[in-house]
Amino acid sequence: MAQRVFSMNETMNNDIIRHASALADKSSFIADDFAQALFPKTNVFFNDRMRSNARQYLRGVIGQIEQRICLIATQELGVTQDILVKIAAGGAGQSLNLLENSGLLKTVEIVQHLFVKAQQSELAARLLQKISQSDLEATLTRHLDHDDPVIAEAAMGLLVAQSKTTSAVGEISASLADLPAEIVYAFAWPVTASLARLSGLSSLQLQAATERFLASHDESASVARKADRLAQLIEQAKAAEDQVPHPMRDGLSLFIARLARQTGLASDQIVTFTAEPDMARLVVAMRAADFPVQEALSVFFALDDGDNILTAATYGETDRDRALALVTSWAAPRSFQDAQRVLADDSLGDRAK
Amino acid sequence: MTLSSKLAEPVRGQVDFDGILLSADPLLMRLHLRSGGAEGGPLAVPELAELCRISRRLGMNLSRAAQASDDDCRIDMWVETRLIPSGNDQQLSLAIIDWKERPHDDTGKIDSARERDFDRLEGRGAIRTDAALRIIAQQMPLETGQASDAIGQSLLDIYDVIPPSAHARLLESVAERQPIRNQRMREKGGSQRLFVLQGQPLIDKAGIFAGYRFTATPDDPETSGKDRKAVAGKLISDSLFGSQLGPALRQPLGKIIANAETISSKLEGPLRGDYASYAKDIASAGRHLLDLVNDLSDLEAIERPEFTVAADDIDLVDLAHRAAGLLAVKASDHQIRIDLPKESDKLPARGEFRRSLQILVNLIGNAIRYSPDGSVIKVRVSADDEFARISVTDQGDGIAAEDQDRIFEKFERLGRSGDGGSGLGLFISRRLAHAMGGSLTVASAAGKGSTFTLSLPDRKES
Repeated sequence: MAQRVFSMNETMNNDIIRHASALADKSSFIADDFAQALFPKTNVFFNDRMRSNARQYLRGVIGQIEQRICLIATQELGVTQDILVKIAAGGAGQSLNLLENSGLLKTVEIVQHLFVKAQQSELAARLLQKISQSDLEATLTRHLDHDDPVIAEAAMGLLVAQSKTTSAVGEISASLADLPAEIVYAFAWPVTASLARLSGLSSLQLQAATERFLASHDESASVARKADRLAQLIEQAKAAEDQVPHPMRDGLSLFIARLARQTGLASDQIVTFTAEPDMARLVVAMRAADFPVQEALSVFFALDDGDNILTAATYGETDRDRALALVTSWAAPRSFQDAQRVLADDSLGDRAK
Repeated sequence: MTLSSKLAEPVRGQVDFDGILLSADPLLMRLHLRSGGAEGGPLAVPELAELCRISRRLGMNLSRAAQASDDDCRIDMWVETRLIPSGNDQQLSLAIIDWKERPHDDTGKIDSARERDFDRLEGRGAIRTDAALRIIAQQMPLETGQASDAIGQSLLDIYDVIPPSAHARLLESVAERQPIRNQRMREKGGSQRLFVLQGQPLIDKAGIFAGYRFTATPDDPETSGKDRKAVAGKLISDSLFGSQLGPALRQPLGKIIANAETISSKLEGPLRGDYASYAKDIASAGRHLLDLVNDLSDLEAIERPEFTVAADDIDLVDLAHRAAGLLAVKASDHQIRIDLPKESDKLPARGEFRRSLQILVNLIGNAIRYSPDGSVIKVRVSADDEFARISVTDQGDGIAAEDQDRIFEKFERLGRSGDGGSGLGLFISRRLAHAMGGSLTVASAAGKGSTFTLSLPDRKES
């Protein structure tokens, strides 16, 4: 019926119908999205640059994973489907739209990863307002001459990894080699399902290609792991005269890894703290790690976007024992912390009596 | 003592699809054993086992930091897992590229191993957890070995919190690193025993919360009070070695041997030759003491009135090959050949598998000890209507007729010393043979070698 009402050609008409159907499927979520924008659960601010960066990064990562799987499928397993051959040759991937619309990318793991990457990029941009790129790159060179050859070698490893993933200021480098195993895994299987659907190829061949891709991924080459290892070695070898971690002396990745190491927290948690109002949890983490006042204020200044203020008095009055207790509780496994929160909520009624 | 190993080569290990540790370099094997693992058992170092699990689940190689802790020190590691494709049974190799040990802060603290031994004497169990309440070591009352199944699992997965205590209060205490007092818990599986837990938080030298040490007292109102009084009144109960001092002594001895072997093999770096040789002596003396402890435990066990043996269907030819296999290295050290019956032969008998193997290991071990280098030990089997027999013949000095009964007596060494024997092996072996309805005899003449014959009730193959 509708085709006869509108004087459009057949193709255009089908597009509108497909579009309208898709909108109808999603209309029930519009209110959810609006509610989230209108009544956010946290007061963390996400600017447009972060959103745009995260989107570009997502596109880049999914494109690279698609290409790698297709390369293995076509070159190693002899698959000849046109669409897969095109993607393997660097043609535009098609999985992102499919996966976005399906909601398959909306897992806690993936969203958390995107947020941390976006925030890390924000921090890098803030840092470069206070120190030049060349000075920042020179920070690691001081470890290259370390007395302990293991530390010198680890510092060289981090330098090399960083040089491979350098991107323009304010952008996130979407390097596959830089992803932790769990994130690659979280992306790879939905992409595989999407490729199977797009190509109509037997999922067994694509599964085999994905398994090969996963087994060949080497997270030890990533900046995060190189920084974690160097941080571990530096903290073990720490001499009395060593300075506390500082983003302008260590570079961002190593600073985050060293503070994480000193507090027993995960690097991603430290990055998340810097996005929170007043960077309050970062201050508590620095207090727990016993940063001297001037160092803590300097770190705060280096990472802040100019909206927040930390005074010596505020930092000095933060009780270290309480800071230590809090950091210990944040270092507990996530499911344990979640359970604690639920149990604490349940017992609120009892306490009120 | 601070150990900081700058190793040129990584510490390596290999685990199979089920997490069983297939092989390990000495440092990793030592940590595995100290974490409650057994040779041929699942990898018992919690964070390493977890990394292996994740690596297998994802089908991906990982590169992560890990920590482990034992009674002496905390170990920081950087671990790389690598999947090894090998047919259906995918194995995993571990390469620990940084291995750094640092001591726990034990100033003013009672040694944890001593605490554990006192706990055992008092009939209490002990549980060590890491900061996330995962069990690192567990030794519960009435259990002779470590409960390896529990290692790596969360305390709250193994035990239920029993009212009037509250789950929330326990979690709160853990979050605040407070001591935990009189927490009643029930085992989730098995016999669902009740325990009262007392926990002390452990803080390491860096001031970081490292977990809890719990003592677990059985909470059985009807029997535990009586038992505790009886044990406390005597200090050491009747079953001296079997359940108390034996296990308490084995662990420190195991540590002495492991550390002495590490020193003698110069794993931690260069060492003067004579010092390495002293360490070898320490390891050898430690092994002798361990054998003695094992013998005394067995002695205590077989002298108990309730001692019984199982009547398994066994094959003496198979047992002979197993015993010879266990002693192959020792025999080859002395260029001694063990001449065994053909592997395809069978000699069915009835007796407890473990105890029969123990007797054969004792007989072949003695034969190696008292035979000249380069000689042959013959193991032969025979049977008549009632008994299946296996004999071990050596080419040693032999035993004079007047001494042949004495060698089966407790602590009888016929004036020999310094050869690693305790004087209990043959006594225990003969008692075990009798308990299984058989016998152990010797035929020998001075200067002409000896033949020991174990006879066990025959079992006709159906």
